[in-house]
Amino acid sequence: MSPNFRLQGDPVSKKFPIRILPLTEWLRRNLTIIGPIFAVAAVVLGFQLINPFFLSYDGIITLVYAMSYFLIAACGLTFVIMTGSFDFSVVSLLKLAALLCVLYIDRVGFWVVPLALMFTTGFGLINGLLVAKFRVPSFMATLGISIVVDGIALYLSRGHLYVVNNETFRALSTTFIAGLPSIFYWAIGIWLLISFLALLTPFGRRTYALGGNPIGASLSGIDVVKQRIYVFLLSGFLAGLAGVLYMAQMGGGSISIGADMPIPLFASVVAGGTALTGGVGGPHRTLMGVIIITWIQAGLSMLAVGRDTQMIVFGLIALVMSIATMDRRRIKSVK
Amino acid sequence: MVLALLFFVLLFSVLYPERFLTPLNFSTILRQFITLTLFALGPSFVVVMGSLDLSYVGIWMLGGILTWLLIPAVGQWAILVFPLLGLVTGFVVGVTQVRARIPSFILTLSLLIVYWGLTATLSGGYPRPVKGYEWINRPLIPYIPTPVLWSLPLMAVAVFLIKYTKIGVHLYAIGSNEEGAKLAGINVHRHKVLTFTLSGLFTGIGSVILFQHLGGATPVELNLNNVVWPLVAIVLGGTPLVGGSGGPQRTILGALTFSVVYRGLYLSLLHPEVIQLLVGLMLIVAIVIGSRGLREVVVT
Repeated sequence: MSPNFRLQGDPVSKKFPIRILPLTEWLRRNLTIIGPIFAVAAVVLGFQLINPFFLSYDGIITLVYAMSYFLIAACGLTFVIMTGSFDFSVVSLLKLAALLCVLYIDRVGFWVVPLALMFTTGFGLINGLLVAKFRVPSFMATLGISIVVDGIALYLSRGHLYVVNNETFRALSTTFIAGLPSIFYWAIGIWLLISFLALLTPFGRRTYALGGNPIGASLSGIDVVKQRIYVFLLSGFLAGLAGVLYMAQMGGGSISIGADMPIPLFASVVAGGTALTGGVGGPHRTLMGVIIITWIQAGLSMLAVGRDTQMIVFGLIALVMSIATMDRRRIKSVK
Repeated sequence: MVLALLFFVLLFSVLYPERFLTPLNFSTILRQFITLTLFALGPSFVVVMGSLDLSYVGIWMLGGILTWLLIPAVGQWAILVFPLLGLVTGFVVGVTQVRARIPSFILTLSLLIVYWGLTATLSGGYPRPVKGYEWINRPLIPYIPTPVLWSLPLMAVAVFLIKYTKIGVHLYAIGSNEEGAKLAGINVHRHKVLTFTLSGLFTGIGSVILFQHLGGATPVELNLNNVVWPLVAIVLGGTPLVGGSGGPQRTILGALTFSVVYRGLYLSLLHPEVIQLLVGLMLIVAIVIGSRGLREVVVT
């Protein structure tokens, strides 16, 4: 259960403000919080037993690199899923921002970073307008946008592989502070900021309200259209930021950036406990989901398990977790 | 829609008659048309009902590998694994969707990814060609690809089902107002399972034809165009994604229009990348136009 919501009929009596629940009942209620923590522990323990290098210093650096850009992109997607919509274009926008950086860093210098962010935020705005104003189902709208963005990225890059020569740009992500690369601090900082935004600001409250009950939210004076557009803007911006930092981390890439990302990204949001029905969960939960997914990914790769087998794993995780997190009391019919 | 189709045919004929108005070009258009139609036919039932089914490419890919695996054991009958896989997939999707109530696009998308992973794992990473089914696309009539002839009964059954049976009427009812349909005494859950099963079955039977039509081996890499273009054909044909109108008959028209437009663009001097961009724009414009008048509908 989300900390912000107490559903009707919750047996918390006013007479006894503190009530000790039976253990099974407590477990059942907090399953979406405890579950991910246990899952992380199981993942770490399992891989450590099979592969003693999993938690060595190099192993940890690999894990940190694998999760950081993922976390930034997943935070944006979480906001969209919290409103009950879906954003398919995150991966494409990440790719576009990364390619813009590598293509134009030599010509326009550091201005390429705000420029790339402006582009992706602009596409986020288009997503938002399509969904909120034109009433297009978000899945199809963002799918269409992602095809357009892919087309642009392909047109700009012509399918070649590019390498960044600018060391200052690469230092954005690869400076080591206290033994960890700076992209990790970026990711954690953004995660804290976004969690703050979701939990402690009016903006966050409005987002939860919109996801919980759009009609109720609109009746209580929330500008639903504007709120939806803001959420997609945020998602576009964070996708762009993740792309920029990804390029600084990797130092090169081609059109195939992020080809395997869509399903793991989505799986990490639902694995954290944000339900597809909206209104439940939040970016603070997504950290756990991202850790589960990216560490499984990195761990399997360290064990030389192929990408294809990983796809089966993530597809199944996505399926099982979206079924498990769904709040069945609220929904009447699902398309 | 027919007008738009005629308009595009005329436009391209006027622009470059020497390239567009050739028998070869028309048979290429038919080839692409049949690929799109066979993929999109089943899912259009689901879209009429207001849900989405993206598992079609998965059924085609996994079925191809299963056929390759089964050929040594059961011989030529192995091709029957396609309809069987489609049927089972559709049924499982339907039951899961009704029981677990998760949005169908996420359900089928995850399934598609799982099937892709299974295909690549089972095949060991190489496309596996299967011989012995060449009769499916042996030319019968000049310039008309034989798969088109094979698909005609399939299309006829699909159109018959949606237009002239009670099931079709019920699907439209569920698509336009699920609550209302339930109150009117339609067993919505049973119809959902039935529709997903039907969609899987149509895709399965279509994949038998597609398998040989697209080269007698399925790839191990997921081509996103294969997933998206049938959707474009459905939407372009005039079946809105919220359901309630349209249907397979419109999808056939949409697939034809899409093939003509795509082929026309392809013959022009535009870059292939620009064409992909235009396809995306076409999808967006089609859905925006298709979603007109939905002011009251709650978007998801």
